[in-house]
Amino acid sequence: MSELPPKSSIKRWFLTTNHKDIGILYLLTALFFLIFGGLLALLFRVELLSPAADFLGESGYNQAVSTHGLLMVFWFISPFAFGFANYLVPLQIGADDLAFPRLNALSYWLYLFSGLLFGVSFFQGTTFAGGWTMYAPLNTPAYMPGEALGATSVVLALIMFVAAVTLGSVNFLTTMYRMRAEGLRMRDLPIFSISINLTVWMMLFAFAALLAALVILASDHIVGTSYFAYEIEGSTFATDANNDGASMLWAHLFWFFGHPEVYIVFFPALGIMGECFQTFTGRRLVGRKWFILSMVLVALQSFIVWMHHMFLTGINLNIKTIFMATTIGISLPFDLMVFSLIYTMIKGRVRFTTPFLFSLGALLLFILGGITGVFLGAVVLDYQFRGTYWVVAHFHYVMVAGATALFGGLYYWYPKMTGKMYDEFLGKVHFAVYFVGFNLLYFPMFIAWETPRRVFNYPVELTVWHNLSTVGAFVLGASFLIMFYNMFVSYFHGEEAGDRPWKYATSAEWAVSSPPPLENFDGVPSYASGQLEFLDEAEVAQRQSDRDGTGTGGATVADGGTGGTATDGGTAETRSAETGAAGGTGLATAETALATETGTAEPTAHDGHVSHASIWPFLISLGGFVLFLGLSGVRTGSMFYESLALVGGVVTFGSLVGMAQEPFFAPEPVIAERWPYGGVEKMKLGMWTFLASDIVLFGAFIGSYAFIRFSYGWEAWHELIPEAHVTFPGLVNTYLLLASSFTVVLAMVAAERESKWGVLASLGATFALGIGFLINKGIEWIHLFNLHGSAAFPEGWGITTNLASSTFYLTTGLHAAHVIIGLVIVAYMAVRTWGGAYMGNEKPIEYFGLYWHLVDIVWLFLFPLFYIL
Amino acid sequence: MFTHTVVRTLPVAHAGGVRTPASVFNEIFRVFLGLGTLVGVVVVAYTLYNAYAYRDRGEDPKPEMERPQMGELPTGGGGGKKLFLSFGISAVIVLSLIVWTYSTLLYIESGPDSEVVQENAIEVDVEGVQFGWTFTYPNGQTNSSTLRVPRNEMIMLNVTSGDVFHNIGSPELRFKTDAIPGQHTRTWFVGRQTGSYEANCYELCGSGHSYMNATIEVVPRDEFYAWYDDTGTEPATNNSSAALAAGGA
Repeated sequence: MSELPPKSSIKRWFLTTNHKDIGILYLLTALFFLIFGGLLALLFRVELLSPAADFLGESGYNQAVSTHGLLMVFWFISPFAFGFANYLVPLQIGADDLAFPRLNALSYWLYLFSGLLFGVSFFQGTTFAGGWTMYAPLNTPAYMPGEALGATSVVLALIMFVAAVTLGSVNFLTTMYRMRAEGLRMRDLPIFSISINLTVWMMLFAFAALLAALVILASDHIVGTSYFAYEIEGSTFATDANNDGASMLWAHLFWFFGHPEVYIVFFPALGIMGECFQTFTGRRLVGRKWFILSMVLVALQSFIVWMHHMFLTGINLNIKTIFMATTIGISLPFDLMVFSLIYTMIKGRVRFTTPFLFSLGALLLFILGGITGVFLGAVVLDYQFRGTYWVVAHFHYVMVAGATALFGGLYYWYPKMTGKMYDEFLGKVHFAVYFVGFNLLYFPMFIAWETPRRVFNYPVELTVWHNLSTVGAFVLGASFLIMFYNMFVSYFHGEEAGDRPWKYATSAEWAVSSPPPLENFDGVPSYASGQLEFLDEAEVAQRQSDRDGTGTGGATVADGGTGGTATDGGTAETRSAETGAAGGTGLATAETALATETGTAEPTAHDGHVSHASIWPFLISLGGFVLFLGLSGVRTGSMFYESLALVGGVVTFGSLVGMAQEPFFAPEPVIAERWPYGGVEKMKLGMWTFLASDIVLFGAFIGSYAFIRFSYGWEAWHELIPEAHVTFPGLVNTYLLLASSFTVVLAMVAAERESKWGVLASLGATFALGIGFLINKGIEWIHLFNLHGSAAFPEGWGITTNLASSTFYLTTGLHAAHVIIGLVIVAYMAVRTWGGAYMGNEKPIEYFGLYWHLVDIVWLFLFPLFYIL
Repeated sequence: MFTHTVVRTLPVAHAGGVRTPASVFNEIFRVFLGLGTLVGVVVVAYTLYNAYAYRDRGEDPKPEMERPQMGELPTGGGGGKKLFLSFGISAVIVLSLIVWTYSTLLYIESGPDSEVVQENAIEVDVEGVQFGWTFTYPNGQTNSSTLRVPRNEMIMLNVTSGDVFHNIGSPELRFKTDAIPGQHTRTWFVGRQTGSYEANCYELCGSGHSYMNATIEVVPRDEFYAWYDDTGTEPATNNSSAALAAGGA
């Protein structure tokens, strides 16, 4: 099961968990979506040759522009960047793989299947046609023709995509904080790895907010809640008011995600530009420290600028002023980074290789795009640019400038990944055609900026500019044919590239063969001497005992120690590979197996052989695809869709259990830099990262409830709630959950004391209390559903009855789902305890406890909000 | 007769001297365009110059400079002072531009200084629905697809939507605002010259989005009030009488 078939075998690619393979998969799949999204663009650019509705038709046009945006932003550009991240980050930091290899594979397969689900949506009537920004209430079924199943599939596909991203964030963060080579402080990482680190930090929080928006929207589609519906039909309540907050709620949720998203898209490109400028100018990045600080500032500031997408929504002047200030504030670090790159060329030895041409080109395009962004930051101007091609031109200049740098990265790392050199002449031709096509496509949009977005007719005098754009689009598209040809042919006939084809490249990936061996490094990489070197086993053992000798293992920071060594300090992580495995065994359950990356095998059963293969990520994703496809149509009551959902659900659950059962050995490095998480084990760090995302998810749900309620009228809200909705069931549930948190702690203590019956009893009590919670809730809900004879609610207070019921059932329902998942894990752990697990190793129970306590704490917020206030 | 005489001496609700949103925008846009082009040209030219001037010519022109070595721990390449100078200059330019536009933002948000002009503004309620616009005047009269307004008077639009998220804007008159169901937004303009102007929808709202236009007709004041007083469900207001008495503008 852990043996990896050779690269020539198809089976390998379904089983592999190796980061390099997964990187290749991401790159190829992303290029497929580039073509898909690009063809859609060509379709509507042809439509735009004349200002009238031609072959696409009104609905077809809206679908084309919407899906073009969604595919490019989500399924092409970030996954393309993460193809590089997957391949290079472990190499650059000196690790053998990512922290959780199977999770990594799972991220990829979820990404692929989410894209396939998106593709299927075209065949379900119409696909989503409300713009990639999916504004409410246009995004609700009320405004979609027919059954609108395609739109629901798109929303579900996005949810699946976000799941992939979240797992990826957890993985990369844990990896980068736990698996760096000795002597490699965070600030010493290559610029590309630093950019990926900041990207995943932003992803962790931003995508959680999007997930909330999408889950709520999916609920509006499938279950019939009314968060985003403005007009509430069949009102059974006195005020007969509509949902005033619907549109603004979506706008806030979406743009809170949407703005960090554009930096999530751009940062990897910035990282690649940093690498390429250093390598091809032969000069170290000027002001590197400030460059990194600027990136950190942008990452932080990205979360406080979102309302600049909402300047015309009627928010008050003070808020507009604040966001104008923060928006201009965020442009300043970019100024510094642009100058840093330019100055790196001075006194350099600039070589105009294809990667450098693309990086330099990206910089020029980004400068143009950035300047036009300052225009948009001046609110008075933004008022007129809103909804016009100025915005379209601006964001294509900056975003596709990012893509430009990514293509440069493809040329840069192609020799490393394939071992062959691409054809340099063809590469330069590609760049020339690309650059001409790019500017021919996007520059006329500035001139024709008065054209409203997403329309197919425009003032006749602008026809020439739109036609130039169309020509440019085809030129740009054609340039990719040159690239595909080059990449393909060079793979078979290119010159041997060697380890390090680029002079002045410095990072660790260039120290190994092209392509690198499966385990990446011969020996253990270390920068302790100030220089990259590879330690053999004896030296590693020596360093281990040195660290052990320093005693307590408390965090000792040795900044710039002897001999130029710079260590992050942290605890003396000297667990051997064996104990590393032991630390992870036991907690191999449906959900947390995903976070633990270990199976059920005891360390003694291993021969120390690292695992690289697992079929479960593929199967879980396949099941998820079928499940979500089924969910897209359950609203219609169709047998076909319901069966799909059932089958998909079973396959997914079964595969999760399969993955939990599987023996999988993914050891941590023996010596590593771990600042600032030296004292936090790998699994724990993974769990905490995941919980951070979950906290934002619940925060967004609670915020959504508060927002909707404020918009409606905080006190008037009570009219929407039947008198039968009393506090008591909520209070009982609070006691049950609090008690269950306590019993989990008891289980942990019992495990520490190696008391099998203690653990079983405590887990059993936790399970019983949790079931009690669910039964109590069930009784409450059924009672509310069946409130007959009530004047205000003749048909009961069901999920779809009104705004208050929508928010109540969905929010507490999301919480209940978390409880159910927790109980599944408790049951699994009880079974494992019976088999002898956790004795003396309470850590897995501790990690579960963290999750369970979060679920508990969330309830402590929900209870007052939904039962008392 | 007496009333008219008295009224004749009241100040006219004349917004002819008011700085229109259109002129505000045009001025700022031109300045930004000029400065932005200048900055863009300079920076791009400087970049290309450096790329060319420091191109690799086989020999290392600066052998004393330390070049990146394989496996080294990264350090910066020096030159921090120049970096901060450039950064400082660009920050000053950007911040000054924004501070300058802030005062005009206040103007656009609050409207003309003249109290008289503001008080005598004609408030029109605008509602967008898929896929057209309805305009409701103070006297209750409603018009779909055409908004007729008098020249040189401040028109205040109170905008909302009846269904989905729309946006109404006029490229020539330079007003624009979102039309959101459940929310009300406001914008204003003054029509300096008579004529027909187009207003479009600037937020994707469904399959008819491309067709969701309206016409703004700016007509001479006496012509407007002649039409206006004849319509509507309420008696003519003081404004219109005063305007009529003061004669056309």
